Amino acid sequence: MRVGKNSGVSKAVLALAVVVVLLAGALTAVLITTTAPQPTPTTVIQTITQVTTEVLPGTTIVKTETMVIETTEIIATTEVIERVVKNPDTLIIATIGAPETLDPAWAYDTASGEIIENVYETLIDFKIDPNLPPERRGLTDQFEPELATEWEIVDETTIRFKIREGVRFHCGGTLTPEDVEYSLERLMVMDRDGGPAWMLLEALLGVDSTRDAEGNIIVPFERIDRAVEVEDGWVVLRMEEPYSYTILLQVLSQMWAGIIDKEWAIEQGAWPGTAETYEEYNNPETPPLNDKMCGTGPFMLEKWEPGVQTILVRFDDYWREPAKLKRAVIKVVEEWTTRKFMLLSGDADIVVVPRQFVPELEGTACEGLDKPCPTGIRYVKDLPTLVLSPAIFFTLDIDPNSPYLGSGQLDGEGIPPDFFKDKHVRLGFAYAFDYDTFIEDAFLGEASRPCTPIIRGLAFFNPDAPCYTFDLEEAKRHFMLAFDGQLWEKGFKITILYNTGNVARQTAAEILKKNIESLNPKFKVEVRNVDWPAYLKAMVGKQLPIFLIGWLADYPDPHNFYRPFFHSRGTFAEWQGYSNPEVDQLIEQALRENDPAKREQIYRQLDELFFEEVITIPLAQPLGRHYQRDWVQGWYYNPINPGIDLYTIWKQLPEEM
Amino acid sequence: MSMDLRSYIIRRLLLIIPVLIGVSILIFSVLQLFSPVERAALFVRTEREMQDIEGIIKKYGLDQPLHVQYFVWISEVLKGNLGWSKVISMPVLDAIFFFLPATLELTIYAAPLTILVGIWLGKAAAVHRDKTIDHITRTMAIVGWSMPTFWLAILLLAIFYGNFAIFPPERLSTEYEIAILSSESFIRYTRINTIDALLNGRLDIFIDAINHLVLPVMTLVIVQVALLMRVMRSSMLESLGQWYVIAARAKGLDERVVINKHATRNALIPVITLSGLLVASMVNGVVITETVFNYKGIGWWFVRAATQLDIPAVLGFSLFTAVLFVITNLIVDLLYAYIDPRIRLR
Repeated sequence: MRVGKNSGVSKAVLALAVVVVLLAGALTAVLITTTAPQPTPTTVIQTITQVTTEVLPGTTIVKTETMVIETTEIIATTEVIERVVKNPDTLIIATIGAPETLDPAWAYDTASGEIIENVYETLIDFKIDPNLPPERRGLTDQFEPELATEWEIVDETTIRFKIREGVRFHCGGTLTPEDVEYSLERLMVMDRDGGPAWMLLEALLGVDSTRDAEGNIIVPFERIDRAVEVEDGWVVLRMEEPYSYTILLQVLSQMWAGIIDKEWAIEQGAWPGTAETYEEYNNPETPPLNDKMCGTGPFMLEKWEPGVQTILVRFDDYWREPAKLKRAVIKVVEEWTTRKFMLLSGDADIVVVPRQFVPELEGTACEGLDKPCPTGIRYVKDLPTLVLSPAIFFTLDIDPNSPYLGSGQLDGEGIPPDFFKDKHVRLGFAYAFDYDTFIEDAFLGEASRPCTPIIRGLAFFNPDAPCYTFDLEEAKRHFMLAFDGQLWEKGFKITILYNTGNVARQTAAEILKKNIESLNPKFKVEVRNVDWPAYLKAMVGKQLPIFLIGWLADYPDPHNFYRPFFHSRGTFAEWQGYSNPEVDQLIEQALRENDPAKREQIYRQLDELFFEEVITIPLAQPLGRHYQRDWVQGWYYNPINPGIDLYTIWKQLPEEM
Repeated sequence: MSMDLRSYIIRRLLLIIPVLIGVSILIFSVLQLFSPVERAALFVRTEREMQDIEGIIKKYGLDQPLHVQYFVWISEVLKGNLGWSKVISMPVLDAIFFFLPATLELTIYAAPLTILVGIWLGKAAAVHRDKTIDHITRTMAIVGWSMPTFWLAILLLAIFYGNFAIFPPERLSTEYEIAILSSESFIRYTRINTIDALLNGRLDIFIDAINHLVLPVMTLVIVQVALLMRVMRSSMLESLGQWYVIAARAKGLDERVVINKHATRNALIPVITLSGLLVASMVNGVVITETVFNYKGIGWWFVRAATQLDIPAVLGFSLFTAVLFVITNLIVDLLYAYIDPRIRLR
């Protein structure tokens, strides 16, 4: 045995010591160099002359004393620190959701839309009115030309667009009318399940899918081909039946109608543009242009790291003035504390602030974008959203095998499957809900209450629409009338589900529980949470007696809300098992009506019916907030935009403007 | 390497195949407990997409019987296609390689530090039993082990980044990220930032990457060192009481030699097993630390995949985990033989 030889462990300890010393040194060095500058103590010498007057009988003595006082004063240095803009030509956005894809014919989520709408352009776009304040600058009912220089409504079913000349694509090509034709046709050819293509299909071909319920193709390529044609430098769109032009223009102004370079797309493996390949490229499993982009917009894709971040860089050959920003980095930062510190330190310029964290920034951020703020953080609030969320949906024919029915009978231990077919039950629930408390608790007061699916910000919004109020006496009266008085006598037990993490839905369920149970000791409401997959399953399977969910506008038109909420073939009404031929007919009639006065009349009728039928109770239209560093200039809001329009933004200190 | 050792390693590596088949069948069967609509929820992330659930189930064959789905999947795997991870929109195999470097970078710094500090403190505590250092390390172990990771991570973030504006989250500062992007000469060899920075001779990027690593590494070390330290302490105490230690002392050997050469080497065996598991679980992703510091690694991806029933991702990740643990166990076994000659590989 050799004595005195160090074992591996001692070497390791030595190495560790070195590492620890190095780390400690680095830490100290960084702490010393980067800690905020400390106020400098300054020695101030003051000379004070004190004059005392003594009055003695007969004489007056004046004494003069001079004192030298030495004090140490702290002189604040904050005034001398000159503010600088961090990353002056790069905008950094810290957000929550990651884009699903960069393919405009596939994307249907707002996170993808934020990237796509800055890289791809559409024929026309929603108008920006520079004379309005930033929070109202983006309009939803007026359009301005983008890749089309003009458009013309030829007749009831034909509209044509003159394509702008000299527009360059990021990958080198020049925009042609054929690119536009290809892009719009590709959207319909691809038509992925659950994707956005139905909007264009519905407008042009009058169908909502190219396939039947079994997945067989029912729309021949000729119909798609005929709907979009190139004629003498114009792109002509032909509708098979008259359809609302307003909706068509709204659909054409958004991400799914983004124009891509045809040759480039084919090279990347997208649809080759031929009739023979239509079926092969219909409903693909993955997005063909998932991670590549070639558009005409003010920014080009520089790097996409799915789930992590997207980096966009300015396109210098843009057909308008190039953007003022050189780059934009859109990061996914899910943890709120991390996002908050990034905003406070200036490492992020714009961050998403969920409503429950708003109080954390109170006193730090200043309201309004035009005023200076000592902390450098500003916000605007009460931004109208085109979101109706949540609403209470009653299922009229609940699956008899649903695990949420209890005994399945009206015996106080459950509910029968046709529980909500009795209108008095629905009215009882409607009057038992405390609408104001809900908005105060779930949205900290930052939401407005819609009475019908036509929310504020949509055309034909009716501020005087009939609405249910919180009235426990009225609720009691209706519950007593329900099931010929049996309900009141026997009581019931109902389960209300919400998906885990959704605070608004949970709050709504708890409010219903509290108020309904207060009416009659035999009324029992159980509130339970499940994960989103289980929630979706129960909702689609008609197992939930009551479900809470919301809707986000595809396009800013009442039809996009009335159809899912009220039409027998609409997403929600179908799950609820609701069908009323009169309602269906009115919804379809309003869709094809191009005279605004007549349309308004139809929607007023629908508002009345919606109130009378009480199958759904809208609860809130949330109001949004926007937080940013004060050096971000040029931001504006449009409720229909999926994200931030980077083109108008630049970074500059407000005091330098 | 002797023939024996070589065939031992080959035999152990061949074991991976049945392990992989077993793991994949097991996971496949568990996933069948979810209904087709629940599995379709992955494709229906927004309210807008809710309109066509039936079509989604048909398209992805979510309503097919178990064995049909399994054989479709396994035949694709044999062609080298692990499927598409819907939660991050890329092929599963690409996703593993995309997220692995970030996690490896954390492991490269956190694992050796944890192991060295754990062994060192555990040994010190055992040698100076019931002295100050023993009490201190015991308190540290209790605090470190019982402190919720997310709380510790947020605390560190608040103190250093929030207060002093040092040690920022994420992997690199935006300016360096852009510098790498716009530099034509910077080559991404490994996608491990610190290593790439050194290979490209960019000290500034190296320092920036280290700056970003400090807090996540610190969090991991504080949390993980507790267990290792306690195991090392008890193992060390046990071997200090063995006859051969007494014999060595009786022989008049220097106390340092007794401790380092005789006791420590024997005490290391359980610690090596634990260290192997520790390294494997770190490579497998440290979800909370990665989330708080916005340090997107493989664990971060897997948790999203699992909660949204992203089946190809869950399967791909599980296979990766299985391979990782088989290899780690093999390395641990080889290390045993090196440390303790009484253990023979057969």
